[in-house]
Amino acid sequence: MIILIFAILSALTLAGILLSRNHRQMNTVCIAQSVTFALMACWILLAGQLPVYRISIGSPYFFIDHLGLYEVLISTLIFTCAALYARGYVAGLLDSGELEKGSLRLFYIAWAVLLAVLVLAFFSDNLALFWIFAELTTIISAILVAILSARDNIDAAIKYIFIASTSMLFSFVGFIFLFETSRVVTGTGTLNWTELLLAAHAFPPIMATAAFVLVFIGFAAKSGIFPFHTWLPEAHAKAPSAVSAILSGVLLNVGIYGIIRTYAIVNQAGAGSTASFLLALFGVLTIGIAAFSMIPQKNLKKLIAFSSVENMGIILVGLAVATPVAIFWVLFHIMAHSLTKASLFFSAGILHRQYKSPLSSEAVDDIRDVFVYQPLAAWGIIIGGLAIIGMPPFPIFVSKVFIMLQLGTASPLVLGTVLVLLFIAAVAFGYFIITMFRKRSRPGRDTDLVPYRTPVSMKVPIIVLLFILLVAGIVFTTGEVSFIQSIITELKFT
Amino acid sequence: MIESAFVAGLVRVLFVCIIITAVYIISARNLLSIVSVYAVQSLTLVVIALLLYLLEGAPVLIAIAAITFASKVLIIPYFIATIQEKIRIKRDIQFHFLSPTSSLFVSMGLMLLVYIVLERVMAATGDRDNLFFFGAVLGISLMLMGMMVTFSRKRALTKILGFLSMENGVLLFGLFVTELPFIIEFLIVIDLIILVLLTTILTVGLDSTLEDYHKRLHRFHLWEDEVEVR
Repeated sequence: MIILIFAILSALTLAGILLSRNHRQMNTVCIAQSVTFALMACWILLAGQLPVYRISIGSPYFFIDHLGLYEVLISTLIFTCAALYARGYVAGLLDSGELEKGSLRLFYIAWAVLLAVLVLAFFSDNLALFWIFAELTTIISAILVAILSARDNIDAAIKYIFIASTSMLFSFVGFIFLFETSRVVTGTGTLNWTELLLAAHAFPPIMATAAFVLVFIGFAAKSGIFPFHTWLPEAHAKAPSAVSAILSGVLLNVGIYGIIRTYAIVNQAGAGSTASFLLALFGVLTIGIAAFSMIPQKNLKKLIAFSSVENMGIILVGLAVATPVAIFWVLFHIMAHSLTKASLFFSAGILHRQYKSPLSSEAVDDIRDVFVYQPLAAWGIIIGGLAIIGMPPFPIFVSKVFIMLQLGTASPLVLGTVLVLLFIAAVAFGYFIITMFRKRSRPGRDTDLVPYRTPVSMKVPIIVLLFILLVAGIVFTTGEVSFIQSIITELKFT
Repeated sequence: MIESAFVAGLVRVLFVCIIITAVYIISARNLLSIVSVYAVQSLTLVVIALLLYLLEGAPVLIAIAAITFASKVLIIPYFIATIQEKIRIKRDIQFHFLSPTSSLFVSMGLMLLVYIVLERVMAATGDRDNLFFFGAVLGISLMLMGMMVTFSRKRALTKILGFLSMENGVLLFGLFVTELPFIIEFLIVIDLIILVLLTTILTVGLDSTLEDYHKRLHRFHLWEDEVEVR
C-alpha cells in the first residue's frame, strides 16, 4: 500500500512535469513531490508502529524500519530545500545559457525519478533490489551532472558512472555470496535483509568476510571512499549547485547505508573484527587523502566536495568502533553532515551566480568584496564552514566528539592520527575562507561586477537548514534519541 | 535424455570458450570485432543457461536465457555498433597503463589468485567440487578482466564494452545460483540498458567537439528540441 502510494505520487509528478509549459510550473511540481514525500515519511513516523512489514507495504520485497525511514526523512528534507533552491538557481542557469532550454524537462524528470528511486532503495527489504535501486541512483544522478552539456560535465559524469558502476558489480557478487551462504545454512537461499540478519549467527565467518569485502568495494565507491573517491570532487564541483547538494547530502548516504546493512549481518556472523579493521583502515586513509587534498584548493565547490570525502571517512571510522554509542553518533553524524553540506552547496551556488566562475573544478574562484555583494551567502559559508569542521554549538561538534571518545577507547593511536588529520582539514577550510573572503576589488580595474539579485527561493533553504542545524546541535528530544536507539537495536549492535 | 555428466562436461568446455572471448576483448584493437566478440560471449552464456536448465530443470534459467539473448546478443551490440559507425571510430589503439601482452599476464595471475582465494573461502560451504565453484572462479575472473579493459582503454566506447563484459561475469556467477528471483535478473538488464544508452550518448559528446555535440544528437534523433519552454 505505502509503496504504491509513493509510486502513484511519482507518476503524478512525472505527468505534471510533462504537462508543464514553463520552468516555474515544472519546479512547482517537483517541490510538491518532495513536500508530499516528506509528509508521507512524517506520517509513517507518527502513525505507524515500526518496522512495517509486507502486509501494509503491499510487497514482500519492501519493508520500512527505523534506519530506512531515518534516511528517507533526511533525503526528503534535503530534496524539498533543493527543489525550492532550484527555482531561482535553475532560472539563473537558463538566463545565462548554461542550461539549454531543451534540457530543462529532462532535468526535472531525472530529478523526480531520482527522489522516487531513492525512497524505494531505502525501503527495500531485499539486498539485490536495494542494489538495483542504488545503481539506478548513480545513473540518474549522472544525468543531472551531465545536463549542463559542457565537456567538463560529460567527462565528470562518465567518470562517475564508470567508477561507481564497475565497483557496484563487486557488491552484487558479494550479495550472491551472502545468498549462497544463506542457502547452505538455512536450506533456502534468501537475500531478504531481515531474514539474513536472523540467520547470520550461523554463517561461516570466512564467507561473511568475503561477502563483506566485495560489498564494501562497491558501496565505498558509491560514497567516495579512498581509493575510489576520484570521481567525487569532480562530479560534485561541476554539477549545478542544487544537484551538488543532493549528491553530497543524499546520494553519499546510499553507499553508507549499504555498508551499514551488510556490516550488521557480518557483525552477527562473528566476523566483525576483520570488517572493523577494513573500515578503520579505509576510513583513516580517506580522511587523510581528503585533508591533504583540501590544502591547495582554490575552488570553493571542490573544497566542499573534499570535505564530504573527509566526513565519509569519519563515518567509516565510527562504524569500525561498532559499540552502540559509536553507532548512535555515526547515525547522528550522517544527518548532521547531510544538512550542513546541503546548506554549504546552496551558499556556494549563490557565489557561483555572483562571480560567474566557470563550473570547471580546476577554475580558481574569483571572489571579491563578498560581504558587499552577497552577505547572506558569505555568512552561509562561514557559519556552514564552522558547522562542518565541528565547532560548537553545531551538531557535527557533538557527533565528532563522541565518535572520537569512542575511538579513543578502542585505539588511542588511530585516534591521534585521525585528530591530526581532522585538524589539517579544518585549517585548510578556514584558510580558504579567510583568504578568499578578504579579497577586495582593486579600484579602477575590477569594476565589471554587477550585483546578482539573489531570489528569495535561494535564500530561504540556506536559512532554514542553518536554523535546523542550530536547533539540532542544542536540543536533543527524547523522541529523537529513542528513534536512533531503535535503529541500533534493529541492527543488533548491542 | 542426455547424460548429466556429459552436459556438465559441455558446460566446462563453454567456460573455456568464454575465457577465449575475454582474452580477445582485452587484446583486440578493432572496435567492431570487439562488439561482435561481446555478442558471442553473451551467446555462450545463453547456451550455458540452457544447458544448466537441462541439468537442474529450473524454469527461471529459460527466462534468463531469453532476456540475455534479447538484450545482450541483439539489442546492446546492435546499438553500440550503430553508434560506432556514426561517430566513425574504428580502432582503439591507445592503452593506458597496460599493453595487451602485460594485461594477459596479469589476467592469468588474477585467475590463479581468484582460484586460490575462493578455494579457501568456499571450503566452509562444501561447494568446492561442483559447477558452482567453477562458475564463481570464472565469473569473478571475467569481471576482473573486464575491469582491466575498462581501466586500460582510452576510448569510452571500449570502456563500455569492458563494463559489459564485467557484467557478463556477474551473470555467469549468478546463473549457478538459480533461486535468485527472476525479477532481480530482469531489473539488472533494465539497469544495464539504461546505463549503456546513457554512456554511449555521453560518449558521442566526448568524442566530438561540443559545438558538434548537439548537431550530432539531432542527427541521430537522440535529442529533440522542446517547444519553447519557460
